[in-house]
Formats: sequence, C-alpha cells, structure tokens
Amino acid sequence: MVKKSQNNRIDESIIDVISVSKSFGTRPVLNGVNLKVGRAQGVCICGVNGAGKSTLLRIISGLLEPSQGSVKLCGLEVGSEPEKTKSQLGVISHKSMLYPDLSLSENLLFFAGLYSVKESRKRVKELLEELGLASYRYDRTGILSRGMLQRLAIARAVIHRPAVLLADEPFTGLDTEACQHLISVLGKFRADGGTLVMTSHDTRLGLQCCDRVMVLDKAQIVFEAMTSEIDTDLFVQDYLAYAGNRD
Amino acid sequence: MNYFFESLWAIFAKDIVTELRSKQVLPTMIVLGMLIVWVMRIVSEAASLSTMMMGPAVLWIAFLFSGLLAQERSFSTEEQEDCISGLLLAPVDPGTIYIAKLLVNIVMLCVFEAVVVPMVFLTFELSIGGKWFEFMGVLLLGNIGISSIGTLFSAMIQLSRVRGALLSILVLVVLMPMMIPAIFALLFLFGVIPEEVAGTGFLALAGSLKTSVGYLVAFDVVFTVACWLLFGFVVQE
Repeated sequence: MVKKSQNNRIDESIIDVISVSKSFGTRPVLNGVNLKVGRAQGVCICGVNGAGKSTLLRIISGLLEPSQGSVKLCGLEVGSEPEKTKSQLGVISHKSMLYPDLSLSENLLFFAGLYSVKESRKRVKELLEELGLASYRYDRTGILSRGMLQRLAIARAVIHRPAVLLADEPFTGLDTEACQHLISVLGKFRADGGTLVMTSHDTRLGLQCCDRVMVLDKAQIVFEAMTSEIDTDLFVQDYLAYAGNRD
Repeated sequence: MNYFFESLWAIFAKDIVTELRSKQVLPTMIVLGMLIVWVMRIVSEAASLSTMMMGPAVLWIAFLFSGLLAQERSFSTEEQEDCISGLLLAPVDPGTIYIAKLLVNIVMLCVFEAVVVPMVFLTFELSIGGKWFEFMGVLLLGNIGISSIGTLFSAMIQLSRVRGALLSILVLVVLMPMMIPAIFALLFLFGVIPEEVAGTGFLALAGSLKTSVGYLVAFDVVFTVACWLLFGFVVQE
C-alpha cells in the first residue's frame, strides 16, 4: 500500500508539518513526517491503533512538542508563537473537553471568554441553534447523550471561528444519525473556508468529510491520495485488509 | 493585561460555579475539619493538655488536611472529559491557569476557616484579645503557602496520572518549613509563649511574631512565584 499522489499540489498551505519525528522513550511514533494542507482542504488520516495519528494531531495543536522538526500553522511556528496559533485552531476528540456541571450556555460562554470572542452571547445562541441544541441551553452538560455532547464539543471548538479544525476520532461512540449530522456540520465548516484534519477508524465516514486521504503506518505516511483519484469502495476494502494484516 | 484578567476571571468563576453545583469539596472539608477538632479536643482533655497550647496546632492541622482535599479536586475536574486539553488549547498562558486555580483554593480555605475557626475557639476556649486583624493576616499567609504548593503538586499528580497518597506526602514535606513559623505566629498571638523569646532550637528560630510573619511572607512569595513559573512545565506533555 505505497502510493504518493502527485496531484495534491497546495497553493497556500495552512498547515505545514516539516520533517516531524516523535519518540516516546526509545519507541519512535513518528519518523520524518511531512504534511502540507491547503485552505478549505479536508484531510483524513487513517492508520491502525498506535500508528501515531493522535500524536500527529497533538503535535499540530501544540499540545505535544515534536522530538524533531517543526509545525507551521497559518505561516506561524506553533512552538514559538503559541497564543497566535492557538487562536487559529479548534480541536475535537472523542472526549468533549466540556464541564459536566455547567450548562451548555455556560460551557460555551466560558470558552468564548478564553478566546476573547466578541458578542459572545450572540455567538453562543447562534451556534446552539445551528447545532440543534438551543432547547437544552440551560440544562447541565452532564445529562447530554453522546451525540449531543459531540455536537456541543464542535460548538466549543469553532466558537472563535478558527481557520483549522483538528478532529481526533470524532465518530467514536456515535450512532448512524449522529454520524451523519456530524458529517454535515464538518462539511459546513469546510464550505465556510475552514481546513479540516481528522483521524478516523471508520475510513468510509472519514472519506465523506475529506477530499484527501493518507495512511500512517510504522511512524510514516505510506499512502496519500486525493479522494477524487481513487475508488472509495476499493480503497476502504484494501485498507481494511491491510489494517487487518497489520493488527 | 486586560486579557490576563479576563481569562483569570473566567477560570476562577468556572471553578467556583462548578463547586457550588457539585458540592463535592466544601462539605467534605468541613466534616473532616470538625472531626479533627473534636478528636484533638478529646485527646487534650484525656491527656490534660493546655487547650491554649493545642488550639493553634489544631487549627493548622485542620487547614492542612482539609486544604489537601480542595487541592486534589482542583485538577481532577479538569481531567474528566480531558478538560485540561481544552484549557491548554486556548490562547491562555499556563501561569494564568495556575493563578486562577490558586485563588480558588485560597477562597475555599477561607470559607472553610470561616466555619472551623469559631468552632476551634469555642471547643478549645481560645481568646485572641483584640488581635483579630493580625490573626486573620497570619491565617491568610498560611492559606497562600498551603495553596501555592498544593495547587502545583495537584497538577503534577493529577496530570501525570499518579494517584493515591502522593499529594499528601509531597505537599506535607514541602510545607514543613512553612508550618513552623505558622504555628509559632499563632502561639505568639494567643499569648501562649511570650514575644522576643531568646530560647534555643525552634523557639530561637521563631524569635517573635514579627520574625514568624516575615518567614511566612518570604515563603509565600518565593513558593508562589516558583510554582507559577514551574506550572507551564508541569502541564506541558
């Protein structure tokens, strides 16, 4: 499964991962990974457990420092200008990063405060309505179902209108309806000019949100293609067989 | 600067609201404090110890152990649902997170003291005379010291996924140098030992109320600044 597409030329790169390596102790997790993602592009990173997908996203977000190499976000070095790069970034993962004892509005207002969002109340109301959570705005976040919690997590991640959204396994624990809703929300984010980088075990769902796919294995990118260049069904079939052999 | 205060207030208010809703820490702190006070009163009665001598020590024992409960909680709420990543992903300086958490822990201890101090005064029949201002000053200095160390160690322990009694062990060891002047400051205030003692050992170290308070201030300044500077390294993976 080794293919590197030549058609993914990026005119304006929003994310620039340059020769990033990361080791935990003596175990290399990423080895000289390079990645360029353009504006409004959607990239789905696939890989078996422990392939380094989440580590790569944590390095891009600045939560983890690379052992070697660097990451630029909107032209700014992530490690040296953390405040500026963080305000360009939204992150969702399988954990919501929300406080169960606060209401939906309180949670969003809290994060709006941290990102200095102008007219925060209006923005919170707008997002809750957009994500179909307006009627729950005064309820405790702890009572929400997994699907609703994930929608609220998206609202938290995009409250400051970031240029880039990183999604680490966003479909984990969601039913079919919630997955479709999430796909439409991520699609809208990209349609509005946002850049999406996501990891997913469910390759089929991942490909629905993205126009580029890559496979990470043995600490390196071993496959990369535009979704328009490949037969999606065949890719999913091949990938599952490949991942099955790797596991 | 404006952003510093905005984010500081946001984190502080969030933690206070969370505690008021969940009521997980304060009731437990108060029950533990009451238990310590009553047990120590029974011991002093049984051993015929001076209540004036025991009172100040009981106050610090109650503050120290109940304070540990508050500090343990300050980062366990962030660990649920990986909220700490949410905080660290925001354009907030880690030092601001530390100061906000420190203020929450100080407020919690102050509320706790508002309940437990009158109880200790009644149970141990203490009298402070007219020195209420000095008394509250010493308690506040003690609170800052206990909270500054406890907040940093709580972050270290919770975020490094090491559990158990480690927080108590680390905090108590580091707080030892502060507890000596803290206890002596109260003993001077309650008139248990006369001021300007020219004794040996611990008494010589304490010297007077002024010297003890000086040690407390120095400890608070040094450790609060050190913990604030170290916090960024603690939360960085």
